[in-house]
Amino acid sequence: MKTKLIGLGILAVVIIAAVVYVCIGRSRTVTEINGYVGGEKIGLLEDEEVQDILRDRYKLAIDYAKAGSIDMITADATGRDFLFPSNQTALELYEQINGKPVKSEIILNTPIVLYTRSAVAQALVSEGIASEAEDVYYVDMEKLTEAIESGKTWSDIGLPQLYGSITVGTTDPTKSNSGNMFAGLLANTLCGGVANESNLPEILPRLQSIFQKLGYMESSSADLFDQFLKTGMGAKPLIAGYENQLLEFAVENPETWEQVKGDIVLLYPTPTVWSSHVYIALDEAGTAGIDALLDQDIQRLAWEKHGFRTGVYDTPTDAAHFGVPGLAEEITQVAPMPDADTMDKIIEAL
Amino acid sequence: MKLTKRITAFWLMIAAVLLLCAGCGAGESDSDADIVLGSGRSSLRIISGSENSELEPILEDFAQQENIRVEMTYKGSLDIMRLMGEEEIPYDAVWPASSLWLTVGDTEHRIKHAESVSISPVVFGIRKSLAEELGFVGREVSVGDLLTAIRNGELSFCMTSATQSNSGASAYIGFLYALLGNPEVITSEDLRSEELKTQMRELLSGVERSSGSSDWLKDMFLEGDYDAMVNYECLMIQTNRELEERGEEPLYVVYPYDGLSLADSPLGYVDQGDDEQEALFLKLQEYLLSGDVQNEIQRTGRRTGYTGVSEENMDVFRADWGLQPERVLSPIKMPAADVLFECLNLYQTDFKKPSLNVYCLDYSGSMSGQGNQQLVEAMEQLLIQENARQNFLQASQDEVNILIPFSGDVIDTYTAVGNGSELEALYDEVKNQTVGGGTDMYAAAVRGLKLLKEYDLSQYTPAIILLTDGQSGGSFYDFDSAYTELGAEIPVFSIMFGEADETQLEELALYTNARVFDGRENLTEAFRSVKGYN
Repeated sequence: MKTKLIGLGILAVVIIAAVVYVCIGRSRTVTEINGYVGGEKIGLLEDEEVQDILRDRYKLAIDYAKAGSIDMITADATGRDFLFPSNQTALELYEQINGKPVKSEIILNTPIVLYTRSAVAQALVSEGIASEAEDVYYVDMEKLTEAIESGKTWSDIGLPQLYGSITVGTTDPTKSNSGNMFAGLLANTLCGGVANESNLPEILPRLQSIFQKLGYMESSSADLFDQFLKTGMGAKPLIAGYENQLLEFAVENPETWEQVKGDIVLLYPTPTVWSSHVYIALDEAGTAGIDALLDQDIQRLAWEKHGFRTGVYDTPTDAAHFGVPGLAEEITQVAPMPDADTMDKIIEAL
Repeated sequence: MKLTKRITAFWLMIAAVLLLCAGCGAGESDSDADIVLGSGRSSLRIISGSENSELEPILEDFAQQENIRVEMTYKGSLDIMRLMGEEEIPYDAVWPASSLWLTVGDTEHRIKHAESVSISPVVFGIRKSLAEELGFVGREVSVGDLLTAIRNGELSFCMTSATQSNSGASAYIGFLYALLGNPEVITSEDLRSEELKTQMRELLSGVERSSGSSDWLKDMFLEGDYDAMVNYECLMIQTNRELEERGEEPLYVVYPYDGLSLADSPLGYVDQGDDEQEALFLKLQEYLLSGDVQNEIQRTGRRTGYTGVSEENMDVFRADWGLQPERVLSPIKMPAADVLFECLNLYQTDFKKPSLNVYCLDYSGSMSGQGNQQLVEAMEQLLIQENARQNFLQASQDEVNILIPFSGDVIDTYTAVGNGSELEALYDEVKNQTVGGGTDMYAAAVRGLKLLKEYDLSQYTPAIILLTDGQSGGSFYDFDSAYTELGAEIPVFSIMFGEADETQLEELALYTNARVFDGRENLTEAFRSVKGYN
C-alpha cells in the first residue's frame, strides 16, 4: 500500500509538472479572446484550418458564445472582447447605445435567400411566384407577399399534404439577424422601395400581421436551417436563411448532400439584401480578431468551405466546386436595408 | 482575456490531482442521476426527457467505448427549461424533447452545439379494436374527430402534464387550435373565451392519468388498463412491442392532421468553460449523429437523418399498427412564447381536471429537526401559491387538498378547497404540528382512502402522496382491504426520506400503479415530480 502511495505521489508530481508546463507555455504564446457570435458563423470559427492560421500567424484563439445578432447588442457584454453580428444595423444599434466601438469592420458577406423543397418550388413556379432562369430560381417578393397576406393555403397552390397557410419560416426578427433582415426585405416589398420612417406607419400593421401568423419563431438561423433539413418538407416548407448556410452544408456533408440535393432548392428573392457580417471589437484584445479574420487565406477558406462571399471573392469564378445546383454566380438584384432607426421601429413593433 | 481563468484552472487541477491521491481506493463519486451508464473517471452528466431512456443501450456502448460514465437524469422538458434559467446548471448537457424549450429556456446563452438527434411526432395511440370501432382506421383523422369521441364518452386517454412535459404540452396546444376552430395562430384574446374554457374542461375530463414525462407515461400505461394515450410515435412503437410480447392488443396510431407536432430531440452542451467536458460532449454528439448509430436509433422507432426512414427499417414502422413512415409530417405552429406561457398557466389553473391530493405527512420522532424543517419548506413551495406559480404547480379553483399528519397513528385531518386562503392556511397546519412518536403510514393511507369515498372521483385526478422517513408499523393488509373496499384506482405515490424502507413503499407503488420518489437529495424537487402525475 505504501509503495503504491509513493508511486501515486510521483505520478502526481509528474502530472503537475506537465500541467504547469502546458499552461505556462500556452499562455505566453496564444491569447484567447471571447465574444458573442451569430450561429451561422460557428462553422467557420470551428474550422481547424482557420484555427491553425489564427494560432500560428496571429497567436490567437477565438472562443465564443452563440447569440442572435440583435440579442447580443443588448446582452451583458462583461468579459467579452468582441461581438460578431450578421448585419450593419446591429453595429448602428450598438453605436446608438454605447457610442463608437474600439474598432469595427465588415468581414464577410452573404445574401438572404429562401430555401424550399422541389415540390414546393414547382408549385411556386406554376403560381408565377417563382421563376427559373439559367438554372437559378428567383422568387418575386411582391407576389409572394401577396400570397401570404391573402391567407392562401398550401393546398390552394396544389400541396394538400401541407397543413396551414403559406408562410415563410424565419427566425425571430427581434432576436436574430436572418429574421430581422427578412423583415427589412418584407418592409421594402410592402412599400415598393426602401422602407423609411415616412412610409413605415402605413406598412407596419401589415408587417405585424404577417409575422403574427408565424407564432413561435426560432432564435437562431443555424437552428432553423438544421430543422429545415431534418424535419422535412412538412414542418418547414419554406424558410429564409443565408446563402452560405447551404454552401457550407454541402461542403461539410458531401455524402448527405449527394442524397438530398435533388430535393432542396435555393431561391433568390428579387431583390434581396446583403447580410454583412461585421466584427465589433469591444476592447484592445478584441481588435486583433479583425486583422486575423481578414487574412487572405481565412477569407479564401470562408468562401471555399463556408460559402461566405468575401471582399476578395464576391464575384467567385469557382462556384462549381460546391456542387450546389442553382447557385447564382453574381448577386445583382440587391436593395439596401432600411436604416437603423427604421429597423429599430420595426423590431419594436414585432 | 482568460489568463486569470487559466491560472485558477491550473490551481484547481493541482487540487484535483491531490484529491485524487487522497481518494485512492474510494468508490465512485455519489451521483443523483437516475442511471449511470459505464464506468470510468470522467463523466458526462445529461439531463434529458425520459423518452431517451429508450436509448440507454446506445449510450452505454459509447460509455464503454470511451471508458467514461454517462449519467442520465430524467425530467420533463418544461422542467428542463426551467432548470436552464437557474444560476447553476449542474449538468454538462441538456436533452429536452423539443428545441422550443431549449430556445425559450436558454436566456443566458449557455447552450452550445445543440443539434437534433432524431424526430418523432406526438400522436394518439388507441387500442386497435376501439380505433376500428370509432372509425379511425385507414383515414385521415382530425383533432375534432378525437374530441367528438371523447365528448361522447367513447374514448378516454392518458397524457403527460402540459406544464411539465413536451408531449402533453404539444397535444394540449393541438386541442386549443381545434377548439378555437383552427385559427392561423393562437392569440391572447382567443384564450379568454368562456366557451373555450367549458369545452377544454370537458375534453380534459377525459384524461384518465397523467405523468411528468413521456416515458413514465408509457410505463404507467403498460402497468394499467387504459384505452389510449398521447405520446411520441417512437414510444408507441416501444409500447406495442411490449404489448405484442405479452400477447395483448396493440395500439393503433392516429396522426391528427390539424394538431400534429414534432419533437426534434436536441442535445446541447452546457458551456461552463471546461474544454475537456466540451470535447467529451462533442465526441458523444458525433457518435450519436454517425451513420451507424443514427440507423440504430431509427430502429428504436425514431426518424433520423435527412432522407426519412430507410428501406431496411420500414419493418419497424408497422402499417398494421397505423404507422405511416412516409407521411409528410406537417405540424401546427406553436404560439409565440408569451402566448404559449399564457396557455400553460390556463391549463394549470382553469382547464385541467382538478387534483384531489391527499398528503400523508410523517411527524414521527425521527423527523424532528432538519427532516421536519425540510418538509415544511417543501410544502411551502406547493401551498403558498406565489411559489407554486413559478413552477406551474399552482392549484386550480376546484382543487381539493387534504392534509393528514401522522405518527404512530393519524394525528388529525385538514381539508382545503380551491386555491385561495383555505389552501394557504394548510401551510400553517403543516408548520404547527408537533413532532414525536412512532410511524404508521398505513393508518394514514387508510384514512386518506376513507376521506376519498366522499368525493365523486370521476371529477378529479385523485392521488395519495405519502412522505415518510422510517420503517412503518401497521400492515399492508389493512391498506389492501380499505383499497379494495373503495374500488377505485387511486395511485399512492411515496416520497422516501431519511431511513425510509423502500420495499414497503415500492409495494404500495406497484400495487396502485404509482411511483416512489427519492426525497433525500432534494425534497422540494421530489414533491414537484409527484405533482406531475396529478
